[in-house]
Amino acid sequence: MATLAHPETPAAARVTPTYAEITRDIVATLGKPGRTWYVVFGLVLAVLGWGIFALLYQIRFGLGVAGYSPPVMWGVYITTFVFWVGIAHCGTLVSAVLYLFRSAWRTAVYRTAEVMTVFAVLTAGLFPLIHVGRIWYAYWLIPYPNQRQLWVNFKSPLLWDVFAVTTYLTVSTLFLIVGMIPDVAAARDKMTGWRKKLYELVAIGWRGTDQQWRHYLRAYLYLAALATPLVLSVHSVVSWDFAMSIVPGWHTTIFAPYFVAGAIYSGLAMVITLIVPLRKAFKVERYIHEDHIENLAKLVLLTGMIIGYAYAMEYFIAWYSGNPYERAAFYNRAFGEYWWATWTMIICNAFLPILLWFRKVRRSIPAMFVLSLFINLGMWFERFVIIVVSLSYEYEPYAHGHYTPSWVDWSILAGSFGWFFMWFLLFAKNFPMVSIAEVKEIIPMPRRERAHA
Amino acid sequence: MRFRWAMSASARLARVAAAVAGALLLFLVFRPGGAPRAQQPRLTGFTAPTITDTAALPGPRQPIFYRHDVHAGQYQMDCRYCHFAAEASQHPGLPTLSTCMGCHLLAGAQIAEVQKVREAYNNRQPVEWIKVHNLPQFVQFPHMLHVKANIACQDCHGPIETMPQVYQFASLKMGWCLDCHEQRKASTDCTVCHY
Amino acid sequence: MSETSGRSGPRGDELKPRLSESGAPGAGVGADEGQLSRRRFLKVLGAAGGGTVALAGCAGGEPERLIPYLLPPEDQIPGIATWYASTCRECPAGCGLHVKVREGRAIKLEGNPDHPVNAGKLCARGHAALQGLYNPDRVRGPMARAADGTFQAIAWDDAIARVAERLGAGQGPAVWFVTGAESGTFDRLVDEWLAALGSTGRVVNEPFGYEALRHASREVFGVEGIPSFDLGSARYIISFGADFLETWLSPLALTRGFVQSHGYRDGQMGKFVHVEPRLSLTGMNADEWVSPVPGTEGLLALAMAHVVMTERLAPQAPDVARLRPLLEQHAPGAVAARCGVPAETIERLAREFAAAPSVALPGGVGTHHEQAHGTAAAALVLNYVAGNVGRTVHVAEGAAGAGSAARGGYGRLVQLVEAMRGGQVSVLFVHGANPAYASPAALGFTAALERVPFKVSFSRFLDETAQWADLILPDHDPLEQWNDVEVSPGVRGLQQPVMQPVFDTRQTGDVLIGVAQRLGGRVAARFTAATYKDYLRDTWRGVQRDVGAAGEFEAFWTQSLQRGGVWTAPRTPPRATLAATVARLSVVPWEAPADRLTLIAYPSAVLHDGRGANRPWLQELPDPVTKITWGTWVELHPETAAEFGIAEGDVVELTSETGSITAPAYLYEGVRPGVVAVPTGQGHSAFGRYAQGRGANVYSLLPAAATAFGGAAHYVAVGMRPSGEHVRLPKTEGTPRQLGRRIARATTLAAMRGEAHEEEHAAHGAAPVPEHIEDVLHEWEDAQRREWENRGNYAGEHPRWGMVIDLSRCTGCSACVTACHSENNIPTVGPELVKRGREMSWLRIERYFEGGGEHPFETRVVPMLCQHCGNAPCEPVCPVFAAYHTPDGLNGQVYNRCVGTRYCSNNCPYKVRYFNWFDYQAPEDPRTFAFPEPLHLLLNPDVTMRSKGVMEKCTFCVQRIRGAQHQARLEDRPLRDGEILTACQQTCPADAIVFGDLRSPDSRAAQLAADPRGYHVLEELNTKPGVVYLTKVRNVAEA
Repeated sequence: MATLAHPETPAAARVTPTYAEITRDIVATLGKPGRTWYVVFGLVLAVLGWGIFALLYQIRFGLGVAGYSPPVMWGVYITTFVFWVGIAHCGTLVSAVLYLFRSAWRTAVYRTAEVMTVFAVLTAGLFPLIHVGRIWYAYWLIPYPNQRQLWVNFKSPLLWDVFAVTTYLTVSTLFLIVGMIPDVAAARDKMTGWRKKLYELVAIGWRGTDQQWRHYLRAYLYLAALATPLVLSVHSVVSWDFAMSIVPGWHTTIFAPYFVAGAIYSGLAMVITLIVPLRKAFKVERYIHEDHIENLAKLVLLTGMIIGYAYAMEYFIAWYSGNPYERAAFYNRAFGEYWWATWTMIICNAFLPILLWFRKVRRSIPAMFVLSLFINLGMWFERFVIIVVSLSYEYEPYAHGHYTPSWVDWSILAGSFGWFFMWFLLFAKNFPMVSIAEVKEIIPMPRRERAHA
Repeated sequence: MRFRWAMSASARLARVAAAVAGALLLFLVFRPGGAPRAQQPRLTGFTAPTITDTAALPGPRQPIFYRHDVHAGQYQMDCRYCHFAAEASQHPGLPTLSTCMGCHLLAGAQIAEVQKVREAYNNRQPVEWIKVHNLPQFVQFPHMLHVKANIACQDCHGPIETMPQVYQFASLKMGWCLDCHEQRKASTDCTVCHY
Repeated sequence: MSETSGRSGPRGDELKPRLSESGAPGAGVGADEGQLSRRRFLKVLGAAGGGTVALAGCAGGEPERLIPYLLPPEDQIPGIATWYASTCRECPAGCGLHVKVREGRAIKLEGNPDHPVNAGKLCARGHAALQGLYNPDRVRGPMARAADGTFQAIAWDDAIARVAERLGAGQGPAVWFVTGAESGTFDRLVDEWLAALGSTGRVVNEPFGYEALRHASREVFGVEGIPSFDLGSARYIISFGADFLETWLSPLALTRGFVQSHGYRDGQMGKFVHVEPRLSLTGMNADEWVSPVPGTEGLLALAMAHVVMTERLAPQAPDVARLRPLLEQHAPGAVAARCGVPAETIERLAREFAAAPSVALPGGVGTHHEQAHGTAAAALVLNYVAGNVGRTVHVAEGAAGAGSAARGGYGRLVQLVEAMRGGQVSVLFVHGANPAYASPAALGFTAALERVPFKVSFSRFLDETAQWADLILPDHDPLEQWNDVEVSPGVRGLQQPVMQPVFDTRQTGDVLIGVAQRLGGRVAARFTAATYKDYLRDTWRGVQRDVGAAGEFEAFWTQSLQRGGVWTAPRTPPRATLAATVARLSVVPWEAPADRLTLIAYPSAVLHDGRGANRPWLQELPDPVTKITWGTWVELHPETAAEFGIAEGDVVELTSETGSITAPAYLYEGVRPGVVAVPTGQGHSAFGRYAQGRGANVYSLLPAAATAFGGAAHYVAVGMRPSGEHVRLPKTEGTPRQLGRRIARATTLAAMRGEAHEEEHAAHGAAPVPEHIEDVLHEWEDAQRREWENRGNYAGEHPRWGMVIDLSRCTGCSACVTACHSENNIPTVGPELVKRGREMSWLRIERYFEGGGEHPFETRVVPMLCQHCGNAPCEPVCPVFAAYHTPDGLNGQVYNRCVGTRYCSNNCPYKVRYFNWFDYQAPEDPRTFAFPEPLHLLLNPDVTMRSKGVMEKCTFCVQRIRGAQHQARLEDRPLRDGEILTACQQTCPADAIVFGDLRSPDSRAAQLAADPRGYHVLEELNTKPGVVYLTKVRNVAEA
């Protein structure tokens, strides 16, 4: 059983907190936001606002204002869609899978991961809409009875997406809320005013009785079990958007596992990116520290290796298959006009993680923070390379083309971060970002000193 | 009858010619024993009511109170006498004013509405009818094939021959089209109507 | 135009629904379009007609109005097209037209099938005539220059009065009149009119006047006129720079002859050798390209003649002796070095040439250097020596007055300019010509204009010449006017107005007559006819006598109008013999100074001499050779480019003695090193929104002096330097090489005859599909078909629409592309979007290069359109069934169901799906609006306009398919094979495209598809396309 006090860290810094302290410290994070919070929040809103303007502009004049240039019919939007769906993955992994594996260290970080998941899916879900030509008819993708007697095409991977993403959103949201019940109850008892009302609502009358705990833990377990397969399924489905087509560079059986690994990889990186500043800002270093970062780092290393392997395999199979189109496509990736994108992705995702073999790096929070940023970048470029570069160099040589995003693409991409962080910041100020109840679970029972010699 | 003086000889000639042609056509249309076709109004012995309150009538108010119930119902004129292109073209065709004058040169001179028609004709000022039956956009509707398939005008346009003022009878929406196509085993392939 | 007033005028419900469909699914747009159409109509059609009008869109609440006719228009039923025969006036070839008119609007041009010149075909320029008619930049009425230099609209009577007043002063000799190449009644009228005024100042200005050829024909045969060449009955064609598939003489007639001779048919085909330092579209179709030193084609021709004569390869007419001294000097050995062509090649060519019924084509405008008449003469001599004259070459007096040297030719224009400078021109009329643009800048035409006190232009557009006029009396568009053309002796085409004039224009013929009548006295007496139409009819009374047609003139007249003219079997002229002058013949090759490059200003296949530049369809039509749109470029051999350190897209400055231009470079192995080639047609300083300020005008480099043969030199020595600037060329092509993907396949005649093995095999190492896989595929296929067949609409028998494209006939001329634009309401998007690859053309001609370097340089073309796959990758990925498979085997695309995910396009290996990135048909956004009023009047009411965010693509002209099916249904009969012609097939000058039902064994398409040459593009993808290509066959010795 992991404890919060790590043998290596100086004892001074590692006085085991009492239950009271934990509640106090963590509920303290819900206190009145400071100036910095408002500044950051304002910045985030500004970025979001700009993104929204770009979107409206695009809807008014048509998709042409984005950088699309045939044959590249999908660009930054789908890239960003896959990026955010990927981010979303780690949440379920950390909270559900690790929960089932009983790895206790998750307690400190899983709330952040889950929150990130929900809001990442929320963000990702926007992009399929943003990218369609007639957003005002996007609802036609939903099967509903109509006088026109028209139906949707269940053969189309895009439709599978619709279901995958919505399912994932529902389940992860549920999981988040259920996980929060005891904490919110704890907060509820400290709060006053409208927030008290809010918490009362979310806490659905939690009193922490023994019976409630029993049912609660069961429910949580089952939800975890239910959520776990989604970790695999959702991103597999997303990967089939590509694998099911005949585009050289897309039409690959390796895609599902490759995408899932990539998703978790990017998700973990994002968790690190988020909690490092978080623990400082909320002064919860006591609860989130090197150990957790290191554990995350180990997972990053694992998935990073899988990614590296997948990259190698893609190229190998392209060559081994003897399929001239595949060969051409992959040669073009590495040495074509988009070589820089490809190499960015390979270096960030396959080479940099090698540093994680060193314990020093794993336990250095600044290093991990920087590394996580690189991985996020690399993973965005991975999707960019898969989508844009493959499309730009397909079967018909006459129709080869090249694509450069326009200011609209970039604005909407930035806007998506604005959107994500808006929710994240609002949540962080209104709900405990570290699970009070579960942290309490893993500290040694408070007992009288020297109970027995 | 003052305007007669204003008319040039040629115009007078044209009117007479039109009158003769009209009379001839009328005879052809109503020739005895002519087997009734789908496009022929169904009722016999119908007399159009006298309308006092036109405001109460359904459908848009037209610049001239032209009464289908009188023409198609009471006098049982074949729809295709005025909508001459319905058998040949995707568009039914709109009667030219000279078609009206074919009869009204002589007939119904005392009726106020007919006066309007004559004036319009003499001032060479086309009447701007209000379009009643509006198809949704992006669809092709070949009238001729539906006539060919012996679909009665009334199936889509309703009991026109009893309408003092025409109103849109059917929704003309896609679902409505499909119902009929399915009943009659007509193709429901998209590119039959959408191209 | 009372004749047309009856028949024109749209009837109610037609135009509007289509136009408001042209709006986005929302309503507002429909409203605006409606407004446009309304205003236009009431103008266009006058009281006789009327149109339905959307006073507001459907959602606008306001009802739509239906406006009936007053009088029933004869010969028009709403919704059913009326066809009128006329004649195309886009170039002097004079092709016959059938004009499709719906509700009083001409909406499509097609060739007249009975016409001897084009036999039902039409080129890209011909189709674009429609955009001349509806051009938004037309002069909308008579205008006079006011004191402040601006143009003010005036009334026609006033205009005519002004002209008459000017002419009243009896200044006959000082009156000059410039026309384009006119060869009919109008030509006669102008001459008579000038004569009546006592003027001799007639100038015929046709930039592509073939003066060299006329001169040569005069020198060699002593015959005034242009010889005619019968390619059809030749088996061996050698062209000395004649671009006969593009602009030369009569491209469509020559194309027909060419495919007849050169198209592969069961083991037989002719051979075509092209001799020119630049590989034109015509050259691209050659089996062998001989690239001599520029200007030495003539020497090569004489050397061939030498071989033919000395080796007695052909029976020789006695007068050939006259040539002996000349030919003696031109033994292959002697000229080989000069030409840069090895002597044995010359000998081989000569032997091949003499062996088969052959024809040698004297050079076109692209070979006009100072001594080009020598080249032309040499080619004629070669023909004569080989005994072709009278067989494949017919020398006859030209059609009346077709620009004979006395009044035509560039030389005549030079005289005019001198007269203007000398102040001897007091009144200048310009009709159907634009000399201020299409003449060397050094000639100073524009400057000279200022010396002319009164300039009258009849131009339909405010072009470079018209903008200096004092009075603009806009002529009718050729589709609005009465006229006739005498294409060649015995072939007379008629033009009749097919609709009410779009604007307040007036036929120039009527104006001239009007002026004459106003002048009164002697002048008026010359003209008995009240209108130009009567004048024309008078001419045709004469024509009736000529052709010896019996009966009433009225009958003859109507019949001629219906046929589009009269043509009698051409009288075969007496076999020409050599003239005495031939002895003096000398061939002086062109010499460029050592340190300079040779610039060839070649005629643009698309924009012609620049008259096409204001037609968006033509601007956006990729040049058949370079695939560049909307601009000028400089063609360089990669070696030359390397010398100067120039890459594609680098802007270079070309400087001749008389001027300089800058344009981006295009690297092309089809030009000889040391040669740079620039097309004509761009660089307009006026001429409307589509032409103005685009590219560079190559005329500004050319020397002003008229050549010995009275033409303008199109060769000039230039210096070149990179300007350091770099631009992205607006070209529609990605990679110019096939990467061994066998998209455009070719084989050799030898291989087809089984004499040699086909060299070309699957270039990439893809392993052949094993048997058992094949079986699996077929099982799966059958299963799929069975599943289809017992499902609703798919049950029972259906046709399988398909197309066969014969690559050994397709020349790459791109007429089909423009025809497709015209038929299917395809918007043009402009250069910026083309750079982004967003052109909308449903049909593109892919051009691939082969070989090059030390291997022979070869080009291939393949028309690429939706393949209508039986197993289409685009269909399963569409989430809403907007892309789906119709029972009759089309890949349906339901525009109004499309949400715009664009997955279908990603999954289409042929990349033939096009997305509406903007609302090209919505006026609100002028940046992308493709149909500014009144251009929108040419939209085809049978084809839905696509709104923004929607995917579109080739539909195999489904509207034509449905139309024919409807007609068959009405007539209770089955569809006939060949009843449905797609727009591309209908217009293909080479008859390379055949559409039909692949499932019915006896359809022409099905039979052709069974040809052993047949193949599917990318068939390894198992998409089962409905388009079958027939491998190109090249008549070369070895593969």
